Amino acid sequence: MGSFLDFFYALANYSWMQRAFYTALIVGIVGGIIGVFILLKGMVFLGQAIAHTAFAGAALAILLGIEPLYIIIVFGVIAALGVGYVNEKKVMKEDIIIGVIFTFFMALAIIFITLNKKYSTDVNAILFGNILLVSKLNFIVLLITLGIVGILILGLKKEYYLITFNSEIATVSGVPVKLLDYLLLVLLALTIDVSLKAIGAILVFAMIVTPAAAAYQWTFKINKMLLLSSIIGVISSIGGLFLSYLLNLSSGATIVSLSTLIFLFSFLVSPKRIKTGFTTAECKFCRHVINGESYCLDEPECRALDIPHYHDDKGIIILKKDIRPLSTLTRHKHDKKEEK
Amino acid sequence: MQLKQESNKILSKDHPEVIVCLKDVSVAYGKNIALYKINLDIEKGDFIGIVGPNGSGKTTLLKTVLGLIKPIQGNINLFNQQISGKIPREIKNKISYIPQFTPFDKNFPALVEDVVMMGRYSKIGMFRMPNKEDKEKVKQSLKLVKMDNMAHRPIGHLSGGQQQKVMIAQALATSPSILLLDEPTSALDFKMTKNVMDILKQLNERYGITIVTIHHNLRIIKSYTKRVIAINKTLVYDGSPNDALFDEIIEEMYI
Ligand SMILES: Nc1ncnc2c1ncn2[C@@H]1O[C@H](COP(=O)(O)OP(=O)(O)OP(=O)(O)O)[C@@H](O)[C@H]1O
Ligand SMILES: [Mg+2]
Repeated sequence: MGSFLDFFYALANYSWMQRAFYTALIVGIVGGIIGVFILLKGMVFLGQAIAHTAFAGAALAILLGIEPLYIIIVFGVIAALGVGYVNEKKVMKEDIIIGVIFTFFMALAIIFITLNKKYSTDVNAILFGNILLVSKLNFIVLLITLGIVGILILGLKKEYYLITFNSEIATVSGVPVKLLDYLLLVLLALTIDVSLKAIGAILVFAMIVTPAAAAYQWTFKINKMLLLSSIIGVISSIGGLFLSYLLNLSSGATIVSLSTLIFLFSFLVSPKRIKTGFTTAECKFCRHVINGESYCLDEPECRALDIPHYHDDKGIIILKKDIRPLSTLTRHKHDKKEEK
Repeated sequence: MQLKQESNKILSKDHPEVIVCLKDVSVAYGKNIALYKINLDIEKGDFIGIVGPNGSGKTTLLKTVLGLIKPIQGNINLFNQQISGKIPREIKNKISYIPQFTPFDKNFPALVEDVVMMGRYSKIGMFRMPNKEDKEKVKQSLKLVKMDNMAHRPIGHLSGGQQQKVMIAQALATSPSILLLDEPTSALDFKMTKNVMDILKQLNERYGITIVTIHHNLRIIKSYTKRVIAINKTLVYDGSPNDALFDEIIEEMYI
């Protein structure tokens, strides 16, 4: 077990620790950024499939005795394109395909591993990852790749935002939606591939989804969500690196556990869940929110006024007098700045 | 079915510019013909309602004009330019579209002003940020639909009608010449429907924006639009909504 000071001593003096630190920093930032769009686009399962395909690539590389990184990248990118194609053409329901691809590549990985008579420690390293063992080559590839991924995603932020909002509107306004969808999957695959050694195939995807999911709880602004997501990513990855070193735990597992804790905390105290009383009466048909801020009993001229309405079993009729006030249906404060 | 088509354009006193022109356009999904030999001229300043039973091809018609679906035959002219393949950017910028209403995720990270700003994206271009002018345009658009007081609210927290108005503001932010709307009031109650239609009327009359809107409510069509198009795979009526022939055709079509 390392001590508190050991960690900082190593950080100041050893290149392997410095590499681990910067790896954590970059994976935290870029994973957090790309995760936001993966989450908003609802592509979480696609990403999971890509992660497992990359693992099969790693298993094959170990069997053949070559540097895993290249094969992982080739496998990952092919998987991304395949998944993207299936997703675009709607050949079959998404989750069925993901289930099939996912298990097939796990099966392939297991075959490769068992063919490789001696169970090598390399397999272990790929499955569970070790941020302290990131090689120089891997580090340089990671630095360049994630740098490009981060710049592209931030540069195309507007376009991805519009696609997640409504892809039809995006198409009509001239955004190359198909191209950008494929690009996002490829960038996701690259992010997963280069982080595999550090975080491990089983857990790497959590580095992408969990910080974004935690950030989602806090804000209604996309820029804030991107910022928060990468901050949470960095806190988890660097915090996880530190804790795993201190307590001699698996680095990937510690990082992911830490981000999960942050997610849980965010979810429980989320301002989206607590401050706004919007969760009770929401009409599925017309989306009128019958409680909370948008219904005002105080001032009939309030511009936030919605028409109080009641639905029959077909869901349409409006009956002004029949509305039954819910317990939360009370008065709202007029935000003077907004009303003016 | 018999093809009854009226070609008396009441409004064509002088020579209004034709901005959308379909000639013998047919559209199919696989082997299913959705639209058959549609001929249609949309003139600058038109306020057109499209009616037809479910599955008659109304949405398909809009999407064809927008270039989202390629026709299997026929010619499409937009702003006096023959369209083959992709619609050129300068023409895309003149056309705005509001798809059929789908509720937003309650927690989607976007404020009302962000949603309207999306209308500016195509003008801003990739790898660039919005400038002051864009922000000003967003404010103006929100004012036009009287939603400027809600600029900082999360989009998911508005009612259906308010969200629809924000979508109109988004479309306005593109400074369109023509606005295509797919059932913009289908999810709204009567009061909000009138509210939205009044906004569209104002945009048409005061700002000269051509409006094409799909509707199921004939009463709304009759009281707001100058011209109505009824389709049922083919074009069955094109003319004034207050013509006796229209009522006849509607009755026939919905039986
Ligand atoms: N993506 C699609 N793939 C296959 N067929 C389609 C597709 N979209 C529409 N159709 C078919 O084309 C026909 C016209 O559909 P469209 O959506 O244009 O009708 P609509 O008039 O808009 O109907 P509604 O009033 O229900 O919105 C329908 O028969 C429909 O089943
Ligand atoms: Mg439709």
